[in-house]
Amino acid sequence: MSLLTSLWAVPALGAAACALSGRAARWTALVFSLAALGLSMAALRPILVSHGAGLLVEGGASGLFGISYSLSADGLSLALVALTAFLNLICAFASWELEVPAGYWAAFQALAAAVNGVFLARDLFLFYVFWEASLIPMFFIIGLWGSDNRRKAALKFFLFTFTGSIFMLLALLAVVIAHQRATGVWTWSLPELTGTDLGAGAPWILLALMAGFGVKVPMVPLHTWLPDAHTEAPAAGSVMLAGVMLKMGVYGIIRVALPLVPGAAAAWMPILALLAGVNAVYGALCAMAQTDLKRLIAYSSIAHLGFCLIGVFSGTAQGLAGAALLMINHGVTTGALFLLVGFLYERAHRRGLSDFGALATRAPRMAFFFGFSILASIGLPGLNGFVGEFMCLSGAAQSPILFGGLPFYALIGAIGVTLAAAYALPAFQSVFWAAEGPNSVSPKVFDLGGRESAILWTLCALMLWIGLAPQPWLATLAPSLQGLVR
Amino acid sequence: MSGAVWATSGALFAVGLATVVLRRQMLAMLLGVELMVAAADLALVRGACRFMDPEALAAVAVVLAVAAAEAVVGLSLILRVLRSGRGLDAGELSELRG
Amino acid sequence: MNAAQVPWAAWLLFLAPVSAILIGMFVVRPLKPEWTHLPILASCAVVTVCALLLLQRVLMGGSFDLNFYRWAGVGSWGVDFGLRIDGPGVAVLSMVAVVGSLIHLYAASYMEGDPGFSRFMLVFHLFFLAMIGLLTANNYVQLYLFWELVGAASYLLIGFWYHKESARKAALKAFLTNRVGDFGFLLAILLIIDSFKITHFHLLYFLVARATAAGHAPQFLPAIGLLLIWAACAKSAQFPLYFWLPDAMEGPTPTSALMHAATMVTAGVFLLVRSWPLIAAVPGLPDLVAGIGAFTAVSSAIVAGTRKDLKRILAYSTVSHLGLMMLALGLGRVSVAIFHLIVHGFFKAALFLCAGNVGHAIHQPTANVDEVGGWRKALPWTYVFFVAASLSLAGIFPFGGFFSKDAIVDAAMERGGLFALSGLLISAGSAFYIFRMLFLTFHGERPEQKGLSAHPHESGSGLLAPVGLLALGAVVIGAARPVVETLVAGGWTALPVGIPGYAQTMNLPGSTEIPGVALKALLIGMGMAALGAAAAYALTMVDAGWDWRWRKSSPALERVFDSDFGWKTLVDWFARGVSSLADFVGRVLDKKWWDGAIEGSGRVVQAAGSLFSDAARGRLNEALWWMAAGAALLLALGAAR
Repeated sequence: MSLLTSLWAVPALGAAACALSGRAARWTALVFSLAALGLSMAALRPILVSHGAGLLVEGGASGLFGISYSLSADGLSLALVALTAFLNLICAFASWELEVPAGYWAAFQALAAAVNGVFLARDLFLFYVFWEASLIPMFFIIGLWGSDNRRKAALKFFLFTFTGSIFMLLALLAVVIAHQRATGVWTWSLPELTGTDLGAGAPWILLALMAGFGVKVPMVPLHTWLPDAHTEAPAAGSVMLAGVMLKMGVYGIIRVALPLVPGAAAAWMPILALLAGVNAVYGALCAMAQTDLKRLIAYSSIAHLGFCLIGVFSGTAQGLAGAALLMINHGVTTGALFLLVGFLYERAHRRGLSDFGALATRAPRMAFFFGFSILASIGLPGLNGFVGEFMCLSGAAQSPILFGGLPFYALIGAIGVTLAAAYALPAFQSVFWAAEGPNSVSPKVFDLGGRESAILWTLCALMLWIGLAPQPWLATLAPSLQGLVR
Repeated sequence: MSGAVWATSGALFAVGLATVVLRRQMLAMLLGVELMVAAADLALVRGACRFMDPEALAAVAVVLAVAAAEAVVGLSLILRVLRSGRGLDAGELSELRG
Repeated sequence: MNAAQVPWAAWLLFLAPVSAILIGMFVVRPLKPEWTHLPILASCAVVTVCALLLLQRVLMGGSFDLNFYRWAGVGSWGVDFGLRIDGPGVAVLSMVAVVGSLIHLYAASYMEGDPGFSRFMLVFHLFFLAMIGLLTANNYVQLYLFWELVGAASYLLIGFWYHKESARKAALKAFLTNRVGDFGFLLAILLIIDSFKITHFHLLYFLVARATAAGHAPQFLPAIGLLLIWAACAKSAQFPLYFWLPDAMEGPTPTSALMHAATMVTAGVFLLVRSWPLIAAVPGLPDLVAGIGAFTAVSSAIVAGTRKDLKRILAYSTVSHLGLMMLALGLGRVSVAIFHLIVHGFFKAALFLCAGNVGHAIHQPTANVDEVGGWRKALPWTYVFFVAASLSLAGIFPFGGFFSKDAIVDAAMERGGLFALSGLLISAGSAFYIFRMLFLTFHGERPEQKGLSAHPHESGSGLLAPVGLLALGAVVIGAARPVVETLVAGGWTALPVGIPGYAQTMNLPGSTEIPGVALKALLIGMGMAALGAAAAYALTMVDAGWDWRWRKSSPALERVFDSDFGWKTLVDWFARGVSSLADFVGRVLDKKWWDGAIEGSGRVVQAAGSLFSDAARGRLNEALWWMAAGAALLLALGAAR
């Protein structure tokens, strides 16, 4: 089978294999995760060699109504596929000792397969199918292996995202039909559909597409599913949800929404950029008020993706590149944070800020990794979080869509950066530095073991590497976004 | 004169419908259904006469046969329910079991 | 010049601390944490040697500014990282290296036995590395990187004894206040990139000079200047963002000495020095800097005279002296500002370490004036060093502080008006508070005479030798002024740019001024200092009870000073306001209203569904009713046609 197809088919096979493996499911998952990572690296090679300019395409003949099986991958797609494979592998290691049935491992593999399909799809119908397909494994991951309130959270996640996708489907149908009316040709292929004249319906189509993608990102005010989903999901589930699934939303905006309706998008950019800025500030403010660690990190994800979208909607080269890099960075940083909270929860079965205290003495390694990750998350320069945020804000400052001539969006973003420290550090202090309260569960917490430390060293090393030398990463990602620079 | 048969048929149908909807006893409801079928038959025969359409009479034959078959099935079901000891009140019988 | 020609001293400047930290963290700490200070002290020695070698190199004309690699770039937008070794940078670097190494030495003895010794030394050295990076950065983004890293190290060190709630709160306050300042810095950098497309100091100076000479200054230049000043105010503890510094004294004494006296807080002043061509190009901004500096210097000098905790007196003194540096800068005396920065590093570090020794004598992290007194016989060496450093601080000839502080007062007098007044007040004020501290700690009644018990003993040589060297430095550093002036004067023009006409366009204020030691300064500055010292003597020795009497008689006045003339209260309100806003948004707006609305709509759908689910309950009679009704409706519709 060809390379691009194998990128989603191998995890799909892995899902089936895990389901059949019974007790040995985790080994099967490990093997398939490694294979997936290897394949994604192999696919990235031609892109890296040509400094990001390559494009891999696998086509298929058109079938009914122009639906065809066709995949394409450029730097951005393959970077996200590689991120998925990497995080899947990390999740496998992190979940190694968990007492879970084979279905757990199968679900993660299936999730990887569906998500990879989204990133690779060239045909919009295929895109939609994979998009919806990704909901199902995540629904089960949250609903079967999550915390106390998992059923409700899983249902909320599913219904919210599904409702958004309905709007997306309607919009896609509208575009396809408009294209057919204009040219007489039925096609669902994305390159052929860009530039269709949509007439007066363009803003509505944009709105519908943004509803669909906006739920996933998530954009305020369509974000309320996220805190519940993240809080109730198992640690590895949160990692995949934050690290990969949220990026599907941004990817959809970059790949589908903006190219399909360029005129309406250009007209609505200021509003969209404002919403992105609201994300950054609102997410930070909400995070400040949280008392549950996972909920706090969930809201911080909302804030980070606000920065990402500021970069996307700035329409500048550095803003878009920064947004793409931020997607990768956020996956690594928030992944590390969720894993740490997950390790904490495994030991103490609680995740409230006031449930702990003085953990820096009991678990110094955990304190180190948590401090490192949280500093990366709030954008300490030298670590990866800063690069993405800086480039996004710089893009916003130089954007051709300035608000009244002032770099208004950069200002909002800078407020978000400042507020980040206000939610992150008090949380760190409550858990690791503060005194143990009377109901503290800190005595139950023992320090990280070898396997857990190895996972976190990998992630932290990546944070430092991307932070100090981001240029190679940017070079791979930037050319894919050329088309959106105005 | 011409309207009398239609009126009778209609009246019979209405009575049958009323029986089905208002009565709770299974046998009575079955009777009501049979009444409605009879009314339909009557209307069909009158129609056959009026419009000189022999196919309507064929339809009557089919309807009679179907009504008989349906009576058989209905009665045996009622017998079953009776034998199971749950009484013949349609209001009580809301679950399929046994 | 290319990377191969960079002197090895410059490479070692970074390699030594990085390797020391890595060795310390991965090799020494797991095996023998008590030895963590060994690689670190070795690295300090290497760094000091390198810094002095680079100083010599720059004096001989060997400044350089080189880009090493492209950190991030897309299309025409790019940021490069590199190294800039020039006059101002290497001058401050030498001070940081020498003072820093001595404080590392002190810390190795002071923190001995603390369970977190290893962690302390590693973070302390990380801070050192960050400071080196800050001083040798050749562009704003790189400077910002090390600026924030310094802030992070400060957070970890202020909160070092994290089981103390006061330390945790102080660390958070410091970091958040600095973040608020960094908000300005970040925006300034974004605007610089927007206006000039680069952040490289070198090229930026040229572009600004050319633009202002041609008459069209970039639109955002005033905003950039203001934002940079805002950032400097946060880091260098000037009004309105200075209030984190006194609380930062919760950290161990070496932290206070190195970071919050000699180095980190001077980063703000250094930023303004690096940015001076941009700020000087906007009319009114230098005066703003001078005004902020003067105001802060005077008000914090007054508050310093009322504090009881030794380290807090010194903290407010630091704020005051940083104000002096800003004042000098604003008046255009850039080399004097840098020279005062260097001198201040020596005497303030010495004073802090003396305070640490006093506290150490009674086995406490710090000491209160109520707990000490008359200890010049008990702690003889500390007393000597303290006197030497105090004389330097007060600006008494021929001690080091005279050459810097009195030059600033001289400049202020020359300027006249409010600046002159503030110059006089600061001279008197700083002498007052430091001599008050001297008299209350080392003279006057001993604690036993006041009813307290204390058995102070002098510290060991490990804690005394570094202090002694620093005090010596504070005394003799005055001789280094010509060197510093030469370094700073060439700071902006020593580097060839290769752009034609570069030198002519660089018409920068303050780059060639070399004020001498005027007799007027001698008399006025020292006169005011003598006045202040005499007042201190009168109010602590002659009238021994005055210090606590005014507190008792007017507690309201004490509250005024405690809250820094009310500013701290305002800041608290603001912080609480933001916190309440966050609570409102997070708990009420998001969870109750918006999420509640969405879940409510879900419940509406559910209710509607249950309405219709009645039809599917399996009751035969109800179903028949519905059927009959439906049939009737259809019939009626059919009949109506």
